[in-house]
Amino acid sequence: MTDYTFVGNEIPRPDAPDKAAGKALFISDLVKPGMLYGKIKYSEYAHARIKHIDTSKAEKLPGVRAVITGYNTPEIRIGFMKDNFALKKDKVRQFRDEVAAVAAIDPEIAQEAVDLIQVEYEELPGVFSPEEALKEGAPLVHEVDPRGKPRRDNVIQLPWNWSEGDVEKAKEESAYIVEDHYQTQLIQQTCMGTAGCIAEFDLQSNLIIHSKTQIPYLAQNDFNQALAAMGLKGKNTRVIVPYLGGSFGTGLDTHGYEYITILLAYRTGRPVKILLNRVEEFSNLSPRQPSKTHIIQGCDREGKLTFREVNMLLDNGAYVSWGATTPTVMLMPISTLYHAPSFKYNAKIVYTNNTYCQAMRGYGNPQATWAIENNIDQLAEKAGIDPLDFRMINKNEANAESFGFKITSCGLEECIQSVAENLEWKKKRGKQKDKARGVGMASLFHTGGGCRIYRSDGTGIIMKLDDFGNVSVSTGGIEMGQGFNSALSIATAEALGVTPDKVSVVFGDTATCPWDVGTHASRGAYTSCNAAIMAAEKAREKIFELAARHFMPRVKSVLKKRKKKDPDFEIPDMDFESPRDPSEFDLKKNTVFLKEEPDNPLVRVSLGELLRTAHFQNQGTMIVTEAFYDPNNTMLDPKTGKGNLSATYTWGAQGAEVEVDLETGEVKILKFVSANDVGKAINRQTLMGQFYGASVIGFGYALSEEYKTDKGRNMNPNFLDYKIFSAPDLNFPLQVELIETNDREGPFGAKGVGEPGLVPTAPAIGNAVYDAIGVRIKSLPITPEKILAALKEQNNT
Amino acid sequence: MKKFDYYQPKSLREAYGLMEKQKGEARYIAGGTDIIWRVKQGLIQADALISLRGIEGLDGIRLNGHLTLGSMVLFRTVERSADLARACPSLAQAVSVLANPQVRNIATIGGNLCNGAPSADCAPPLMALEAVLTLEGPGGKREVPIGAFFKGPGETCMDKTEVLTQITIPEMAADSGAVFLKKGRVSQDISIVNAAALLVMEGKVCRKCRLVVGAVAPVPLRLTDVEKMVEGQEVGPELLDRVGNRVEQAVSPITDVRSTEEYRRALSAALVKRAIQQAHRRALKR
Amino acid sequence: MRPGDEGGKHMKRVIEFILNGNGVSAEVASHKMLLEVLRDTFEMTGTKEGCGQGECGACTVMIDGVSINACLYPAFEVEGKSVTTVEGLVGEGGKLHPIQEAFVEKGGIQCGFCSPGMILSAKALLDENPAPNEDEIKRGISGNLCRCTGYVQIVDSIKEAATRLSGQDPA
Repeated sequence: MTDYTFVGNEIPRPDAPDKAAGKALFISDLVKPGMLYGKIKYSEYAHARIKHIDTSKAEKLPGVRAVITGYNTPEIRIGFMKDNFALKKDKVRQFRDEVAAVAAIDPEIAQEAVDLIQVEYEELPGVFSPEEALKEGAPLVHEVDPRGKPRRDNVIQLPWNWSEGDVEKAKEESAYIVEDHYQTQLIQQTCMGTAGCIAEFDLQSNLIIHSKTQIPYLAQNDFNQALAAMGLKGKNTRVIVPYLGGSFGTGLDTHGYEYITILLAYRTGRPVKILLNRVEEFSNLSPRQPSKTHIIQGCDREGKLTFREVNMLLDNGAYVSWGATTPTVMLMPISTLYHAPSFKYNAKIVYTNNTYCQAMRGYGNPQATWAIENNIDQLAEKAGIDPLDFRMINKNEANAESFGFKITSCGLEECIQSVAENLEWKKKRGKQKDKARGVGMASLFHTGGGCRIYRSDGTGIIMKLDDFGNVSVSTGGIEMGQGFNSALSIATAEALGVTPDKVSVVFGDTATCPWDVGTHASRGAYTSCNAAIMAAEKAREKIFELAARHFMPRVKSVLKKRKKKDPDFEIPDMDFESPRDPSEFDLKKNTVFLKEEPDNPLVRVSLGELLRTAHFQNQGTMIVTEAFYDPNNTMLDPKTGKGNLSATYTWGAQGAEVEVDLETGEVKILKFVSANDVGKAINRQTLMGQFYGASVIGFGYALSEEYKTDKGRNMNPNFLDYKIFSAPDLNFPLQVELIETNDREGPFGAKGVGEPGLVPTAPAIGNAVYDAIGVRIKSLPITPEKILAALKEQNNT
Repeated sequence: MKKFDYYQPKSLREAYGLMEKQKGEARYIAGGTDIIWRVKQGLIQADALISLRGIEGLDGIRLNGHLTLGSMVLFRTVERSADLARACPSLAQAVSVLANPQVRNIATIGGNLCNGAPSADCAPPLMALEAVLTLEGPGGKREVPIGAFFKGPGETCMDKTEVLTQITIPEMAADSGAVFLKKGRVSQDISIVNAAALLVMEGKVCRKCRLVVGAVAPVPLRLTDVEKMVEGQEVGPELLDRVGNRVEQAVSPITDVRSTEEYRRALSAALVKRAIQQAHRRALKR
Repeated sequence: MRPGDEGGKHMKRVIEFILNGNGVSAEVASHKMLLEVLRDTFEMTGTKEGCGQGECGACTVMIDGVSINACLYPAFEVEGKSVTTVEGLVGEGGKLHPIQEAFVEKGGIQCGFCSPGMILSAKALLDENPAPNEDEIKRGISGNLCRCTGYVQIVDSIKEAATRLSGQDPA
């Protein structure tokens, strides 16, 4: 066990003071001289042909500088399957479709102009569920594919079909089998800071865009492609990222509104800003992928899992985005959580005229874990085994391989035990039905060491030391509230030998910061801190080379000056003349010293002093180092699906004690506990904050949040009717324990932990409700309406 | 944001004058926490808003046996008044769980009533207490029992130029208890169902019962049939069972974005029963 | 009626009020809310718009010591009143107010978007109730939504703020 100076402590975040003072700038706060304001006109139908767009009245409104549609701008295709367009022509396929946009001198005029645009539609019949969309003769959401080939149906061809072992054989050999269906709802990220961007072109037609994004470099690539479509091939994009007011996955794609802002900026020759208000944020950004899961699991007489079969039907919505790729992450818990020797997983993705979905914290894992962990409890019950014991029988262990996922460290057992102990499981499970109280638990398995879903999982760091011993760490990663800057500054301080207050993190500019694939998949601190450690080691090498040359002469000069001032001072008897070797030196807390004289106050040089000495002389040098860290992980093989997606994995367990009000159906959480294998806490304070925050999002997913739609239209696009937890809803103890398994790949042993905290929250609660009242709600959220209806049915049978 | 003119009259007379002069759609505005959002969204048309904030004499509180509240009394004030909590505990309860602190700091009792929402949280306790509302307009002053005030979702008996100026709440009898309950989806919410009960006891028997349930009908609903079931009876489980069944039949809830008809029906019964039980307990304590 | 109250689409008036201790004035249109005036006219971008509906509290400021949602507060109504925004809590030399310091120390800030409003609500709470218990704290911030923190460390921060403020000399 290493003793660290800074790692593992509770350290206030470096970005906190500015945020406390209201000085931190978010996209909504940025203005540029001469800036125009953009507003978008959205579709009035879920599915319709666009017959005509009349922009004449809008164009005449004083203060309007541009009105654009898909008909007077170059076509820009977006989305990884290129089935979407920045501005829609011919057809709208969802209420969110952007059909026109305006740039004006102020947002009110822009909105007024948008209201003056008249669009003539011919409404078409729509499909609003995957089942509807799969029916014979169902209207086609896309009549042709992106290459222009006619489509036969609404099924999106994606290879989400994986298996291992022999499920059919395992079924025959199983002592117990359970089968059921589970659903999860649409929920929204509800970042407190809404989405927006400011685009402008320089005089060479290069694009500069300030954007609320988690993927500045992938966005740069997307926008460069858009520039090419606009006839600006070869021009470059600079993406600049301010502080994000939360992101939770919303920043993992480039959005229609960004391309529209770019088109408006190009058309007007001025900076243009589009900022979504809360209603637009709810209705026009992409929520979490909903799911319908058919699951079958079996075990032997002793309770050892024999197989897991999962079939999912996913509502893709109108265009393909990251929602359609969630199965690649769902594959992880499905294949590996309580590894069963045989599994089969198939996910069918279908176009509908509902909203399309993309990334939200957890990226499919919460959906899959909802089904798996409920069904595990069902299987345990059938086998006559307590669910805690069942999980212990099937728990994953370190140094194992499961369908290509290489498990190195694994703290699952400790996590499960911690939850069981803190819930008083043995005392309470099955024993409080008379009070309609129960306990339940669920586990999680998630990426914790990067995530190679793109060919590169890399991240760069540039470390620059100045003349005063300050270190600026330039990173491609993004601070969105998760504590990224804090982790990076602490890792740098620890690895380099300076104090965190000397470290400033520079982020969010593709022109000056090194490349990073994106702050997603809980990879931010993991990859950037590892890169920082590499860059810091290089810097230390250079520092000690400089020390070998300059340290002793500098010390001698200081001592001589002192002797001059104070004749009684005794210069210590040391060898000041012999050349020194770099290996003789060390650097701690901003001070360079001789390893053989670590505590001698006379024989030390501050880092700043050393760097100044090396800089201000003939053939002087300064220190700038860089590193590019790309973890040792692999992409999933396109055919087999096997691959070690992450260099290490996080594990955890959560548990709830609940009480159900039998008259009102209300589920009251009495206590919630969570235990998480985090590898190592770099900043204990921010780490706890991640788990508290994630759990509360999990509570919303479990109990109160639902993006409601009626034939594709969002019915609750505001906080009045989309209910997230407020502080008084946390009226029970929320206990978080960190289990440190000191992963060998992680920076100081740390694993990535941005997402896990909300993965098993819903099934922990659902399983507790079952213990309390013998009723299992299979579709989220678990509302009083559903509980009362289920209790009524239970009473009738 | 839709544009509107904003006037700040200093007297009721000035307010009436402004209202009469308006050519377009005009409304009085109190705290504005409901109206401004709806104007922003284009849910209501308003070319002019006439603020009542600057008009003197509308925010007084007088406790003189009965309780007189000016319509512009802030929720904030009600929350902090021990006198009010004693004189009208069910109203104090309603106000304390309404919206959030920032909204309570500028929203008013009068505004809550004049919105005419079936889920208005101030309505059930005031209706259970049979409050009387004073409406004033250019034509004069009139008193309206609150039971006649609500006409439909978003509609009251007020005419366009009238201002609600005062709410008079009769003194609660000795041996009486008044309670307000609400349920939302989370702790801070528009009521899915709310309910108020007033029980006046005579020994073990309930002499007078007033029950109101909100958000389950076009207006906050007085449950007169159910009240008659309770009056003259002792409060016990068998009575409450019958009450519950009757309440389920009396309400006409809808399914909307917040909840379902079936759930609201069941919840009405549960809340009314609990309100009766708690009012009963309070009556015994007084 | 006052000069400038001509009515019609362009009703405007010059309003005068006190902003973070300074007397200020601005010409505003009749339909503007205080939030826009603070952010656009006075460039005090610390106060945020989170929903425009009075549900999230990101726009919380204090008017005459009382916390309100600036997104629903008609600008005309601020005439003659004293407004405090999060910027107003920062002292000479950038010294943070004890409440702001407590939020920094105790992890009450993650993305920072809700923080100004949250801090103002905390101030309103502590001004009135210097030693709140946990339930009172949660109630005091019940009008401030946070998606990042799960509120736990915010409550810790406010407890810390209460301790720091109680150790100070009364202003």
